[in-house]
Amino acid sequence: MSMKKQYGQPKDNYHAKIIAKSVFIFIICVILTLICLIPIYILIVNSTHGHMDLAKNPSNFWFGSSIGDNFNTLLGKVKTGAARQYSGSFDTVQGYVNSLLIAGSTTGLTVFFSALTAYGLTVYDFKLRSPAYTFIIAVMMIPVQVSSAGFVRFMYQLGLINNFIPLIVPAIAAPAVIFFMRSYMKSSFPLDIVEAARIDGCAEFRTFLTIALPMMKPAIAVQAIFAFVANWNNFYTQNMILKNDKLVTMPIMVAKVLGFDKNKDYGVDYLCVTLSILPIVIIYFILSKFIIAGVALGGVKE
Amino acid sequence: MSKMKRTLALLATLAMASTAFVACGPAEEESKPAESKTESVESKGEESKGEESKGEESKGGEVKLADDGDCLTIVCWTDTDLNNMFEVYTAKNTDAVVDQNIKYQNCGENGGAAAKEYANYLNAGDDVDLFVTEAGWILNYINDDAFSAPLSDLGISEDEYKDAYDYTVKIGTDNNGVLKGASWQAAAGGFAYNTDIAKEKLGIETPEAMQDAIKDWDGFMATAEKLKTATDGKVKMTATLGGLWQCFSTATGAAWVDGTTLNTTAVKEFTTMAKDMVDKGYVNPDVNQWTADWTNVGLGGETLGYFYSTWCLATGAQLEQNGGSAGNWNIVKGPQEYFWGGSWLCVSPNCDNATMAADFIRCFTVNADTMEQYALESGDFTNNKAVMEKIVSEKKNTNALLGGQDQFAVFVDVAAGINMDASISKYDQSLKDTYLNALQKNITKSADEILDVYTTDAIAANPDLSK
Amino acid sequence: MASAAQRRIKSISYAKYGYMFIAPFFLVYCFFQIWPLIYTFILSFQGNQSAHGQFVGLDNYTTILFGQGVAQGAAATSAKFLNALGNTFILWFGNFIPQILLSLLLAVWFTDAKVKLPGKGFFKVVMYMPNIITAASVAALFLNLFGDSKYYFVNATLLHMGLEEPIKFVTDPVVSKIMVMFIQTWLWFGNTMIMLMSGIMGINPSLFEAANIDGANSRQVFFKVTLPLLQPIMVYTLVTSMIGGLQMFDIPYLYHTGANYSLDLETAAVFIYANFNQGTVAQANYGYAGAASIIIFVITALLGSITFYMNRDKDEIAQKKQRKRAMKQYKEKMKRGGLTL
Repeated sequence: MSMKKQYGQPKDNYHAKIIAKSVFIFIICVILTLICLIPIYILIVNSTHGHMDLAKNPSNFWFGSSIGDNFNTLLGKVKTGAARQYSGSFDTVQGYVNSLLIAGSTTGLTVFFSALTAYGLTVYDFKLRSPAYTFIIAVMMIPVQVSSAGFVRFMYQLGLINNFIPLIVPAIAAPAVIFFMRSYMKSSFPLDIVEAARIDGCAEFRTFLTIALPMMKPAIAVQAIFAFVANWNNFYTQNMILKNDKLVTMPIMVAKVLGFDKNKDYGVDYLCVTLSILPIVIIYFILSKFIIAGVALGGVKE
Repeated sequence: MSKMKRTLALLATLAMASTAFVACGPAEEESKPAESKTESVESKGEESKGEESKGEESKGGEVKLADDGDCLTIVCWTDTDLNNMFEVYTAKNTDAVVDQNIKYQNCGENGGAAAKEYANYLNAGDDVDLFVTEAGWILNYINDDAFSAPLSDLGISEDEYKDAYDYTVKIGTDNNGVLKGASWQAAAGGFAYNTDIAKEKLGIETPEAMQDAIKDWDGFMATAEKLKTATDGKVKMTATLGGLWQCFSTATGAAWVDGTTLNTTAVKEFTTMAKDMVDKGYVNPDVNQWTADWTNVGLGGETLGYFYSTWCLATGAQLEQNGGSAGNWNIVKGPQEYFWGGSWLCVSPNCDNATMAADFIRCFTVNADTMEQYALESGDFTNNKAVMEKIVSEKKNTNALLGGQDQFAVFVDVAAGINMDASISKYDQSLKDTYLNALQKNITKSADEILDVYTTDAIAANPDLSK
Repeated sequence: MASAAQRRIKSISYAKYGYMFIAPFFLVYCFFQIWPLIYTFILSFQGNQSAHGQFVGLDNYTTILFGQGVAQGAAATSAKFLNALGNTFILWFGNFIPQILLSLLLAVWFTDAKVKLPGKGFFKVVMYMPNIITAASVAALFLNLFGDSKYYFVNATLLHMGLEEPIKFVTDPVVSKIMVMFIQTWLWFGNTMIMLMSGIMGINPSLFEAANIDGANSRQVFFKVTLPLLQPIMVYTLVTSMIGGLQMFDIPYLYHTGANYSLDLETAAVFIYANFNQGTVAQANYGYAGAASIIIFVITALLGSITFYMNRDKDEIAQKKQRKRAMKQYKEKMKRGGLTL
């Protein structure tokens, strides 16, 4: 009995410690999860309350009944100043279409041309290869802000304000993505394949398209996630370039609603923010497993 | 689709254009009006054909702008007004169809943002015929020929504005004395107050009695003191320092700058007054104009009143948000006659719908019939003395939110008495924002310190200016 | 061994394809990045407002750095810029420290095989979530919840619970900074955590086993094994976060009430933007904006190259290893036709 107890003691103690630690960690995680989720929950709850309702009691924890009214205001179905202001500036569908258009095409351009450049830097041997690569590494860390004064002035001179070109075309040049893709190719792309393809008479560009690109799928997927999120959320550049309310994207529309100084309606304010967040959050949860795995992979680079 | 085409075309000309513009450098602004002038010369032949006689048009002079565009585009920051205007306009002109040959374009979410965003928008190459500006920054645009053309280029002469309120014409005139903007509103301001609070706490039953109590700043302060005693300081006299400042500053007619030197006469006076009011608890310095707090103090019965301009009382506008729709509000002239804003229609040099643009401007700034109709339908105070006096004398207007009171009756007197001796400058908007910011952030400090913060910030943001 | 075809191919020069493949990048980069950067450089030697386009030499630099310039407000402009620079570092520091500590702690916990944590995958997903929400929406969200007065959710709730005076979450110089740090941490801790996790998983498991056999406790394992081996990726996180911190714009710019952005939160990026985005060219201060941009550029270049040269070798080797391992896991998971967390 006593022997058993002597042997059992440290083991039980060890187990108890592990369990205590696990419980502690679990509690911390639950708290952090709540900190992440509660703001979103309150946001959704408040978007179902009306303007007057919120002015009297902003501290709501359960859903209200004004979601329909708020939608009517947002869609301009009632004839009030607030309705006209919100419906005129916050066209949810238009915002999503524009954001998708920009984020989608930039993502496509970024991954394709970065793969192309990385391929060029890996497969071919040419005089300027290493200077070119050094250049790419050097410029990788230049923040966009430092050239934005000149950028916006230049676009203004070219008449490219209110145009998607300054937001989409520059995506072709993404040094950080090239850096990642080149490292990926260096480690997992056998150059023999290119030679084999040449023997088979495959043209260089076709080799890239039909052989290299499919082999780089994992790297492309990872970078596509990053590029999409970054461009979807790019308020800074979009806000400088897009001034036309038919072209504005989701982040700009939210900032606009935030800046309204007349005819405010708080319920609709909440609704606008909810509409800007909810779809992307839902899509995220559906794709979350893929995204988290991707971030873990890209994390090595970032 | 057209966007796509244009995008492609732009892409094609990108290389060419870039070299051309880079060579021009900062001079490209000057080249723009020149381009549009040549355009207009070519199109002059067409204009007689395109001109539909709409009464006033024969009065005007020579039309210098193009008239071959397919859609009259009006750039604005709030579509609320434009929506109302379009309703009146399309009812009169059945050939005008919204979004087909007449449309508005939002740019910027409020007046201050529009002041900054317009510059890029107007030169973006998108269709612009008219654009709406505010008093605080109109000079930025009308003093620059790259952005604006004289109204006379549309054939509208200055004589047509005989009935307009003088201050609107003065503000719409550029430094060379050319009329470049016409306001459809005369945004006179008054003091709107909660009648329930006035009755219960102050024993004031009628607007006349209220006006008598606050007919000058001494009266205003005395009433505020009474209110404070009656409510234990819970109900403030007015919602914001911003409102007080608007009333005070435009009434005293003080300029922000003389040439490029800051003029701080009015600022000094007001700082002292504002500090006094805050110290005595008549106004809460933490409430910012046009924010949620500003709205909520009205809804929550924490303020006796707001300094309101005409457009705050228009249909579906601010009062509904701030006061609820109970109809327990009234408006009076307040301590001083002042104005708050106004919306000037300016003409872009790239305007290519001269006939319709001229017609639209006249419809809301000259034509008595449509202006009367617009005033009655929208509740906005139009910029025509005769029309507004007629509406008041015929008692055509009542406002349910004001318990049936006719706000125009109050504003007619105010508008006539607006003091517009001071000159406005292109720095006004920026200076006003800077001042109010300095005042509210440092309200506990001395008046001199506040003034110092303001002047320092002001000249830091505007290298052109000096103390 | 080589066939005739192979020999023929070897003799052909493929160099031109190399140039062709990298040409799009360089053309676009020069057009949209390099020229604007040079242009910004040119603008930094030109005047402001009505003096736009005139060459003023180093006036903008002396103005914003030392307060000595032609304009009467030079001293104040300098104070404003230095304040913005200070804010940038305060806000960055204030969000990087809690963020890296929290992320590191979570990463260690999540990768600790001994800890039995139900719902680990769910926690990871939720903690990463804020990162995908648009910064503008996040600013709007927090502004709507954390307004200054009793009319906003948090203050109303706190007042219900017995707080005397509402807290000025938006306008108070200190509290608003803390809020921005909190928001930035909220946005990024999940991302940093997952990156560090992949770093830890990249460490050879036999090292942990050996440490365990030698009787090391978790604290010793952490300080003696995990942390030293994690150093390269930590430095990398530090650098990217630092560069990101210098660009901090969205939240500080949007987090305010009233007409203007908050001066207490003005970062260098906000300073630049606010100076060139003032309406017409005659209103804007392109000179100040340009000079501030170039100064930020120099700071970035310095910080970047210092850390880069300090960690170049270690960094690359560690990264390669981690990438290989992560890639292997990823491929395996893809093969199994679905991913488990």
